[in-house]
Amino acid sequence: MDYEISLLTTMGVSVLFALSLNLITGFCGQISLGHAAFLGIGAYVAAMLGKAGLPFLATLPLAMLLAGAVGAVVGLASLRVRADFLAITTMGVGFLFVGIVRQQNWLGGELGISGIPDTGLSKTAFMLLTLLLCALVAAFSQYIRKSWMGRVFNGIAEDEDTMRVLGIDASRYKLVAFAIGTALAGLAGSMYAYNLRFIGPDSFGFVESITVLSMVVVGGIGSVTGVIVAAALLSALPAWFQVIGDYKLLVYGGLLFLMMRFSPGGMAGLVTRFFSPVGSVGKGGGT
Amino acid sequence: MSATPAMPAPLLRVSDVTVRFGGLTAIDSVSFDVRPGELLGLIGPNGAGKTTMLRSITGVVRATEGRVELDGQRIEGLPIDRRILRGLSLSQQLVKPLREISVIDNVALAAGSAKTASPLKSLLHVARHEELAMARKMLERVGIAQHAEQSPAIQPLGVLKRLEMARALALKPRLLLLDEPLAGLNSKEARSLADTIAEINRQGVTIVLIEHNLGEVMRICQRLVVLDNGRKIADGEPRAVMNDPVVRAAYLGGDTLATAAADGAQHA
Amino acid sequence: MLYVELTAQGLVQGAIYALIALGLTLVYGLLRILHVAHAALFTLGAYVGVIVCNASGSLALGFAAGMVVAGVAGVAMFRLAYQPLLRQPPFVALIASIGLYIAAEEIFRIVFGAQGLSFTAPPLQGQIPVFGGMQFKVAELLMMLSTVAIIGVLGWLQTRTRIGVACQATVSDPQMAESFGITLLKVRDINFFVGSALAGFAGVWVALLNNLVEPTMGSVPSYKALAIIVLGGLGSVRGTLAAALVLGVVESFGTIYLGQLLDRNAIAFAFLILVLMVRPQGLFAKR
Repeated sequence: MDYEISLLTTMGVSVLFALSLNLITGFCGQISLGHAAFLGIGAYVAAMLGKAGLPFLATLPLAMLLAGAVGAVVGLASLRVRADFLAITTMGVGFLFVGIVRQQNWLGGELGISGIPDTGLSKTAFMLLTLLLCALVAAFSQYIRKSWMGRVFNGIAEDEDTMRVLGIDASRYKLVAFAIGTALAGLAGSMYAYNLRFIGPDSFGFVESITVLSMVVVGGIGSVTGVIVAAALLSALPAWFQVIGDYKLLVYGGLLFLMMRFSPGGMAGLVTRFFSPVGSVGKGGGT
Repeated sequence: MSATPAMPAPLLRVSDVTVRFGGLTAIDSVSFDVRPGELLGLIGPNGAGKTTMLRSITGVVRATEGRVELDGQRIEGLPIDRRILRGLSLSQQLVKPLREISVIDNVALAAGSAKTASPLKSLLHVARHEELAMARKMLERVGIAQHAEQSPAIQPLGVLKRLEMARALALKPRLLLLDEPLAGLNSKEARSLADTIAEINRQGVTIVLIEHNLGEVMRICQRLVVLDNGRKIADGEPRAVMNDPVVRAAYLGGDTLATAAADGAQHA
Repeated sequence: MLYVELTAQGLVQGAIYALIALGLTLVYGLLRILHVAHAALFTLGAYVGVIVCNASGSLALGFAAGMVVAGVAGVAMFRLAYQPLLRQPPFVALIASIGLYIAAEEIFRIVFGAQGLSFTAPPLQGQIPVFGGMQFKVAELLMMLSTVAIIGVLGWLQTRTRIGVACQATVSDPQMAESFGITLLKVRDINFFVGSALAGFAGVWVALLNNLVEPTMGSVPSYKALAIIVLGGLGSVRGTLAAALVLGVVESFGTIYLGQLLDRNAIAFAFLILVLMVRPQGLFAKR
């Protein structure tokens, strides 16, 4: 039972992380190649505060706050650059985060922080908390999607300039997407830290940013259900197929490539094509 | 002494607007008014600066000098979305429907401008029936209600032009700006759309229209402002303006200033 | 003395970046795709170069083989991966490229082993003192000279020959290429071949300078190459060269003076972000 619980918790954290990026990239169309930095901010904040004596549950909102604040700053900065520079700029932010943290001794330097205290919850309870948070964030995402904010986000993702002509302050909306998405990544980060009990700067680098982006894309940009399924599967892939373990990255890279080549709409896209008649309007999947 | 009715205050006042890009002066000290309820045509030969003029009114381009006032309030420093919320709306030359959503959803999005004005507001509202009802009315007004549930991706240009207009109307504008709405349409479609524009104006919407199709412009506009090489060269009733030698010279490629001087010398 | 040495080091590094970044800029300028998988061609060229040189004893043959194989592989990538995705939104090609790169890295690891390959008889050893007291290895000097030569030839080809002009023209006006009597497809093929061959060329040089080829050697230089093409003004050969050299020198100085604060990769991106904040269009953008 222990192994399953641990696996479910890890999957849950991945799902949380992927859902947070889905808001920024999936809903609002802003490609972020540095999202792992915000996972990292949340993790480090939770770890430092936890070791300083703060109770586990208190570290969560603080982790979210700092991650969201930095996210808002990055969002502001990204508004200045051209859309096609955004991906590279966010990639730069990711590298900057790792580069700075590695050199700071008070953050544990290259070795990171270990000995993060116990949450006080049993393994099962922690797992349930993780899954509960996933459900809440998923519900929140669905709500956003149905609300006017979701419609504006979709419009911005498709054609930002036209949205301005419709009286919408696209810049503010993009900023909000960044702030919410990064704050939620911070939440995932604190769960991540308490799950593993030790963290290091290399867990939040470019590869991790790519991993979470691929979960969003493979799931189907914007589709909440798709992203959940993709995140759960991709995070558990190596565990389920031990034989793949050594070839995990190869399978992973191949999967990304094949998915984009043959179904850019991700898994949700596949589902839509299967169920919907040709020529109808509307985004794929995601119920 | 007969009492002359006072001129209503202009809805839009463009004062000495100059637009420079690097070394190039696209618009040179142009001024004109738009009165409430008017259907004004902004015309001129290619390269005259008409689109730039429109863009400086909407905010796509910032005027280097000069003032733009909507209902007495200065708007030349505001970003596009702020100007739209103040009562302008624009139908673009290159139509830009949102292809991922249906025709009616496009218009409903515009109709919801009150709810989309701030991210917080938009987060707190989910319901759409009012906006959908308004959208349907707009679609009927421009005559494309039968395409409401369809995707813009499969519509012909004529329908998309009307969609642009419906979207602009859904914003309940005080001033509607149309950038070459008839471009790309055949004569039958152009006439029909021009009729629709005239009808909308009759219903009380103030309109400024950029158009190359002079036949339709003459037919539906009450007043014309003519630009050439970034300067205003005429302003008045359509027939008078088109008979103006300066205007004719501009369209035929002559030197407008020399023609004006010669004209002035003649009447002196 | 130190400054001179640092500048020299920086220029060497910059020249390598330039070779890699050029291929990227040619592709981006043409197709607006962030061709991350470019890194794999760098590594591929290195492997082929070393293997052929070891087998034949000729470095020149190694270079030729590395460049040709990389060039062909690059065209294959274009035809199989990017061309079918041209009509999709940009993130699709980006993710596909990332998938390709990850898979390629893994294939190198599986086929050639993780420890890496070396020259059996490393050629071009020895130092040469140049003016001002700078010391360069023979290999470094030759590399820089050949880089300048190649870039010079490229620039000349771009502006003086029919094919070159057609290539430039296709960026702004795709239909124009056809009027030069060259199909769009061919122009793109040529661009990919040249860019990829350059990456292969750079790969062999780096293999020479470090006497080592290993599967992940492409990653870090390519991330920086992405930053460079942004700095240099997308699509501009001269801009890319200038930006690459500037970055090399900035990194060289930065590592010494800012090493406490940031690690080497972060310096490159910190520089990028700083520049973009001041000049959102990049350092050498034409407009």
